[in-house]
Amino acid sequence: MSLTETAQQIRRRDLRIPLGAVLLVIALAAPFIGSRYVTHSLIIALIFMLPAHGLNLLVGYTGLLSLAQAAFFGIGAYTAGLLAVTYGTPFYVNLLAAGLVAGAIALPLGIPALRLRSTSFVMCTLGFVIIGQAIAKNWISVTRGDMGLSSIPKPHFALGPLSFTVSGTMGFYYLALAIGVLATLAVWAIVRSPAGRNMIAIRENETLAESVGIPTWRYKLIVFMISAVFAGVGGSVYAHYLTVVSPLTFQMYYSTTMLIIVLGGGAGTISGVVFGSLLFVGLTEALRITPELRMIAYGLCLLALVFWFRKGFSPLINRFWDTVGGAK
Amino acid sequence: MFSTILEQIVNGIVTGSVYAIVAVGMTMIFGVLRAINFAHGEYYMLGTFGAWFSIDYLGLSYEASIVVGVLSTIVVAYVVGKLVMQRMVGAPAESGVLATLGIALVLQNTVILVFGGGYKFFSGGYIEPVSILGFSLAQQRILILVVCLLVFVGLELMVTYSRMGKSMRAVSQNVDCCEVVGIDVPQVVLRTFILGAALAALSGVLTAPVNVSVYGGMGELITFKTLPIIIMGGLGNVRGTFFAAMILGIAESLVATYVGLQFRDTVGFATLILMLMWRPHGLFSTQARF
Amino acid sequence: MTGLPLLEIKNLRKSYGAVKAVNDVSIHINRGEIAGMIGPNGSGKSTFFDCSTGLAKPDTGTVKLDGQDITGWSLNRIAREGRMLRSFQKTVVFKSLDVEENLIIAGQMFTFPSLWSTFGLGRMSRQRVSGLRERARELIKMAGLWDVRHQPAGNLSGGQQKLIQFASMLMPEPKLILLDEPMAGINPKIIERVVDTILYANKSLGVSFLVIEHNIDVVTSICQRVIVLDQGQKLVEGLPQDIIQDQRVREAYLGG
Repeated sequence: MSLTETAQQIRRRDLRIPLGAVLLVIALAAPFIGSRYVTHSLIIALIFMLPAHGLNLLVGYTGLLSLAQAAFFGIGAYTAGLLAVTYGTPFYVNLLAAGLVAGAIALPLGIPALRLRSTSFVMCTLGFVIIGQAIAKNWISVTRGDMGLSSIPKPHFALGPLSFTVSGTMGFYYLALAIGVLATLAVWAIVRSPAGRNMIAIRENETLAESVGIPTWRYKLIVFMISAVFAGVGGSVYAHYLTVVSPLTFQMYYSTTMLIIVLGGGAGTISGVVFGSLLFVGLTEALRITPELRMIAYGLCLLALVFWFRKGFSPLINRFWDTVGGAK
Repeated sequence: MFSTILEQIVNGIVTGSVYAIVAVGMTMIFGVLRAINFAHGEYYMLGTFGAWFSIDYLGLSYEASIVVGVLSTIVVAYVVGKLVMQRMVGAPAESGVLATLGIALVLQNTVILVFGGGYKFFSGGYIEPVSILGFSLAQQRILILVVCLLVFVGLELMVTYSRMGKSMRAVSQNVDCCEVVGIDVPQVVLRTFILGAALAALSGVLTAPVNVSVYGGMGELITFKTLPIIIMGGLGNVRGTFFAAMILGIAESLVATYVGLQFRDTVGFATLILMLMWRPHGLFSTQARF
Repeated sequence: MTGLPLLEIKNLRKSYGAVKAVNDVSIHINRGEIAGMIGPNGSGKSTFFDCSTGLAKPDTGTVKLDGQDITGWSLNRIAREGRMLRSFQKTVVFKSLDVEENLIIAGQMFTFPSLWSTFGLGRMSRQRVSGLRERARELIKMAGLWDVRHQPAGNLSGGQQKLIQFASMLMPEPKLILLDEPMAGINPKIIERVVDTILYANKSLGVSFLVIEHNIDVVTSICQRVIVLDQGQKLVEGLPQDIIQDQRVREAYLGG
């Protein structure tokens, strides 16, 4: 008996830490390996990963399908752009402000929207994107309308006598990578906390979650706000990278892209979102696929996800981690 | 002053008729499928492109282009219906949202890929103005009004008396029972879907001479306007949709004149959000459909 | 304080349109008691449960738990602050999560002092969760689910899911548990196990119960008092052996 037990307990070695180290080295070395355009593609993927992480908390963990992510992305981009252009505030201030403003706006929007169920909620969140675009277009005294904001400065850091500007693609890559890693760790912390468990409970069965004392409504509202913070931060990095913001930031295109990253990569897994951003945004950008072809591909992916691969890449990713983690 | 308001209201009714013909298809599809078709505006766009293509490339007359536009949309709708819409019977609401969003992306971008993303000039139609009761109204607008009335009378008769109409009502009331009674649910879904798409295409072809310009992204805006209408009308409610479309058309027309043209397209979504908050079951019914 | 009934419901009414689902029902549950509630289908038992536990809002009437007015509280607040829990007629579990996680979730909101503290990852938070895990394991052993504790709850049989639901309700050291047909659709072996668990929870953990049940043998063997509902009204209440002899109760069941 004891023999068989020990035999069963022999597990393969846990390779997660060495694997993480290897991935980190690859990530750090990437700009030296690939061309400048590849680095640019990776930056775009890292930027889109931020709102996608937020959306994953909402769709993958709490079970709320939302299209509002582009609205908060746009709000973040405009907040950062306006602060930088009008007041000349530094990058990290704009980044925090963008996250906070998006999160704060999510509160009054979330309170009515989250009372709606399934399709109604989707339509309502879609409405936020369209109305956001209308405001950006027509509130000309602030947003400059269709012209948008331009010459947003590149990130500049000053620490005592040290000061430097992140201007090149390579510099920006490391900045985006640092933000991306921090965001991924933040999502990891949220998901691993007891609150993360409650979120999954809400996704699985809302009434049952209520009956074991989980205040589902407040959790949904908080997660909606957190997802908006991620989108807002992403928007601010986007604004500083492109140095321009226009009303077209509020577009279904962006919501769809984020949805594809999350659902395709594997909703409810963190590594799925990282993988999804690289595959659906990084790769399509690097291959210079025209926007139309990319959208057609996204559309076909959505259909495939609905009818054939309900879970996207998440079963593969889970199996991968199980193997790497040493489980049999 | 008074006559301007009246003129705007008449314009609004014409716009409302355009919306009504599109929206009624969407609301019927919701009725049998319990899913919102986020691609519905794309069939409006397909119809318009079919007509534009047959006028510009094939040199057909406007009358013939109406037929070509609607028929080509029916072909596309048949394929989409067989491959996608029929699979959505009994699927969760989220699947319907994602699948129809996917279709919208594919249809819209395929057209842009083939014909380019720019604006195109639509040259057909009856644009001679005629004067009725002191108003000057383009013939095309009168045609739209007449077709809209005919469509709604026809649908009302079909839903009440025809076999297909009856099975549509049955499916929208209780899918499970239909299977027991022997109604072929996927067949009803397919037919309803094709009918809805054909009506959207018809609406597109009729509106093209008034709008003059044609472009690949035009369907999305129509989808966005159809959503508030079908919610206002009460999902699945044909008559309610007619009045809701008129209300939105008139409201847009008045807002465009007295508030500003740039706010016209926001009216719909503001209405949508207000409706979802306060009267999710629509203006004309006290019972929620979902 | 101990003289007061644990749960006191007065003049509860709830209508759906013209249908008076619950029409002026008053009941009380004493501390340490196992009370039964029976009645023909459609007599308003489930509606009465929903209104008492916050899943539905009663039209009029008051619900007092331990002397505190909890009328109009939400389901989650009644569970969390009142420690009055309920089960559902159709067995529900968090399907894709394993048995242990199911139980931990059921205990979390009672262990963490606030919603914000559940976002913590620090030592305090980890200690709380490991405390929950220990308690969960004890209950899993008691329910006889030890061998399947790492399996997704959705993969288990109906009876096992029922036991999971039951063990989940014991996680937070509840005062009162309302069971909606706990024996429906499970085999006799599991019925015995559920009965044992109810009696154990009642005697050793001091939990009071209100049980809706159609299985009259179970009702007579575990309940100290039985309340009969018919057509939204309380028909009679009393000792189980008196109830099954009562002419009015027989008529209510037979006359439909």
